[in-house]
Amino acid sequence: MARRSYYDIDDILAGQERVPCVLRVDLDGLGSAGSGGTSKVHRNARWALPYWMADRLNEEDYVDMEVSPVFSKRANRMYTASPESMQLRAICQYFYLFGLQLGDMVPDIPQLLRNMFMQRIIKVARIAQQGQNVEALDFAQSLDKTEARMLKLCQQAQSSISEWHKNNAYALKRAAVTASTAG
Amino acid sequence: MAISTRQTEGFTMPELEYLAQSESITIVPLHRMDRVELVRGVVGPFRPPQKTEVPLWLAVMLKRTNRCRIVAPKWLAFEHLRDLCRREEQPDAMFTRLPVHYLEIAHMLLTHAEDDLVEPQGIRRLLQDLREVRQSKTHEGLRMLNSQQLQMDNLSAAEINEIRPLFRHSFDMLRQLDVLASATEESQQQSQFAENSYSQMDDAFGADYTH
Repeated sequence: MARRSYYDIDDILAGQERVPCVLRVDLDGLGSAGSGGTSKVHRNARWALPYWMADRLNEEDYVDMEVSPVFSKRANRMYTASPESMQLRAICQYFYLFGLQLGDMVPDIPQLLRNMFMQRIIKVARIAQQGQNVEALDFAQSLDKTEARMLKLCQQAQSSISEWHKNNAYALKRAAVTASTAG
Repeated sequence: MAISTRQTEGFTMPELEYLAQSESITIVPLHRMDRVELVRGVVGPFRPPQKTEVPLWLAVMLKRTNRCRIVAPKWLAFEHLRDLCRREEQPDAMFTRLPVHYLEIAHMLLTHAEDDLVEPQGIRRLLQDLREVRQSKTHEGLRMLNSQQLQMDNLSAAEINEIRPLFRHSFDMLRQLDVLASATEESQQQSQFAENSYSQMDDAFGADYTH
């Protein structure tokens, strides 16, 4: 099963992504948890469960976990076709981390993620250098959390050199928090 | 003390500048002075028209108190930089050879010893050009990133530092994907192996039945 990193909050949050499941047993009194109505849930009912829960229940044969729509065959074809134009933030906030967790279910995932990551990360580096323009802003909106963090780090690293060139590197600045409270 | 994100992601620019200060540089002293014994080594004696090598920090200190003239290093000459720029701009050119701390040294000399340089404004402009060309080349070079290494020769300390967060985290991601890929491959092989052995068993039993 997927290796989880116990202390990584992003990894934990990535496990919240819901995956479709099919129940294999009748459940009494849990109707309110699913589609609602009666208090009994019958087998073969479909439930969308968070991955961390579905994974465990799948192991114990209470449910059959299906491949998440994020990595369905059709979605995968789209990722391969145009990695740079995908709106990853809208698809899944923790796209890569979730993909890493799902790895055993879909064998193409490592290859797919690698291609996407390499192509997109180079664009991240490029827009970090360019600064503000329409294309860059659009792309920045489509980044998932992992990529967005990289973009921020890149921008910081680049600005640190130009700041230092202007001799601002030694100046102490007021923290944004105190500035906003005072204002 | 609070540690900023920049500090966990590599060096800060003031730190790099500090490191660059121990590079040695040639000066022409303007005053007579005996040898000075420092922790890093002995400098001097200073005999006026004779050139001596001192660490950069000492050169800057002497320059500020007007006790020396700094001899600009060869690579910081206008013509040399112009050649470098030209060579760097050629398509498919490798990174040209420059000192590891060239940005920091140039910055310090341009700040503190501008009058010892020939055409300081031109040098400033060329350095800026050089940096921009190298920067876009660095980003092209990132395409060669894989889970083992990223090789770009003749990058300076500040330039490496600039892309450090990017390749650091990318390595991490690619390595995790590698582990995952090999894990799935292994499990696939195992299931194939299991199927094969079942079919072999079937064959064996089938052979038994026919007898």
